[in-house]
Amino acid sequence: MAKAVKIILAGEGGQGVQSVAEIIAEAANEQGREALYIPNFGVEQRGGVSVAYLQIGDEPIGAPKFLTGDIVVALSDRAVHRTRQYAGPETVFVYDSGIEGVEDAIPTNAKKVLPIPAIEVAKNELHPRVFNIIIMGAVIKATGVVPEQRAKDAIEKKLGYKFEKNPKLRELNFKAIDRGAELVAGAL
Amino acid sequence: MADKPIQGEKRVFMTGNEVVAYAAMAAKAEIMYGYPITPQNEIMHYWTRMAPKYNREFLQTEDELSAGFTTLGGVLAGRKAFTATAGPGNTLMQEPMSMAEAMRLPSVVVVQQRGGPSTATVIYSQQEVTMTTLGGNGEGLRVVYSTSTHQELFDYTIKAFNTAWKYRFPTFVLGDGYQAKMRESLTMYDPEERGIELLPAQPYMGKPGTPGVDRPPSQYRNTYNVEEELYEVLQGYFEDYAKMAPEVAEYESFGVDDSDLVVVSHGVVARACKEAVKELREAGVKVGYFRPITLRPLPEKQLREAAEKSGRFLVAESAQGQLDRLLKEALFGAKVEMIPMYKPGVGITSEEVAARVKSVMG
Repeated sequence: MAKAVKIILAGEGGQGVQSVAEIIAEAANEQGREALYIPNFGVEQRGGVSVAYLQIGDEPIGAPKFLTGDIVVALSDRAVHRTRQYAGPETVFVYDSGIEGVEDAIPTNAKKVLPIPAIEVAKNELHPRVFNIIIMGAVIKATGVVPEQRAKDAIEKKLGYKFEKNPKLRELNFKAIDRGAELVAGAL
Repeated sequence: MADKPIQGEKRVFMTGNEVVAYAAMAAKAEIMYGYPITPQNEIMHYWTRMAPKYNREFLQTEDELSAGFTTLGGVLAGRKAFTATAGPGNTLMQEPMSMAEAMRLPSVVVVQQRGGPSTATVIYSQQEVTMTTLGGNGEGLRVVYSTSTHQELFDYTIKAFNTAWKYRFPTFVLGDGYQAKMRESLTMYDPEERGIELLPAQPYMGKPGTPGVDRPPSQYRNTYNVEEELYEVLQGYFEDYAKMAPEVAEYESFGVDDSDLVVVSHGVVARACKEAVKELREAGVKVGYFRPITLRPLPEKQLREAAEKSGRFLVAESAQGQLDRLLKEALFGAKVEMIPMYKPGVGITSEEVAARVKSVMG
């Protein structure tokens, strides 16, 4: 049986990394897979880098945290510095190409380093509010842990009540998933 | 009013704190007393959210001393009562739980360990092992279950009420901040539908009949004037505890018979050890896995057997040897080398355990 896929998501408080991790975990669980998600919590949550540890597999998951991620996503300057320790020879390290001045902090031991323009796409093409959903699209495309449709179902479950009032939000979120997937599809 | 919080079997995905609240509901706990402290707060939150729907009650007290004593009050009134705490709250909880030992009150306490000493971190540790197993001014007359998965948090929270009411010793479910906050799947169930009998609570005070005529008087004491009287009462308690110990002691193990080294751990750290040992065994390494589920009483017989067979224990824990001390007491005289892997207040990953085993075994 294949080992669980290990994912790290890190960003500034408010960037929505914890929601993304939770939705992916729930989507995987809905599909009958095993998932374990744990946020970092503690005082650093307030004004520090927010890190989500997520594992998805087909057998019960072991320890909640891990040393090396299969995919590590860093969404801010500080998140890059904080998460470079989780990169190893099998790691795909994803970061937002809009982050400046982190060239020296990008891990040099990763299998692949993948800058993606998620912040720019969110701001110019879609809406800053769906930035984290773009990231979600990128993560599920890069890892294949759940099909895109499952992710959309999970979003519907979570935000359906908002979509009822404003169906355009649904369209926006689903488009964000697709765009996020496109951002990594070409590069992998 | 809805009848039961859980009907049939249901696969769910939630945090450990939420699991505990559901399990206490399923165990037919009648009242929770509590005082907030991270990382166990959501046990109270979910309990209070569900309590009105299922005719259960909640009292928030002014601190953990009070939460512990009111829990004992609930028990004396003949109710299934429980509380939950962590860290410095657990420290305060030891005073009332000492009284529970003295008066043989079946209180249930859920502990989600955080860093120590003192306020330390609100996050995680296994540093409340010594306190939870042996705290208070007494002799450790209590039962402590150390859970490792959300399924176990559910199963053992239900079991804790039965153990407490059957043997009349305070019973603890020892989790930690990781288990409290992480989300994973488990199957929730109605215990009675699975054939698990839920022992009913019984009144301590106000029993029918005339005391001394129809029944012995209800005299529950935590104070004695004479040394000999205390001594005599305690002898009875020790006898009861020794009789109970083999009935409640639980463990999990594999690969112990053919191993040159056994990794011993408890709680959430056992997940890392299990994963590491499985992988190493698949690669042909002669390493075993042993995990006490009850930290008090320990499964002494099985521990000694594992020690004699392998000759070497690697003790992995997120504390500076708190489990190790309990093991050494249980293993006194056994020929076993104890190799420490201590990371007080910090999580342990399977990669780290595997690396340590490899370095030890050469």
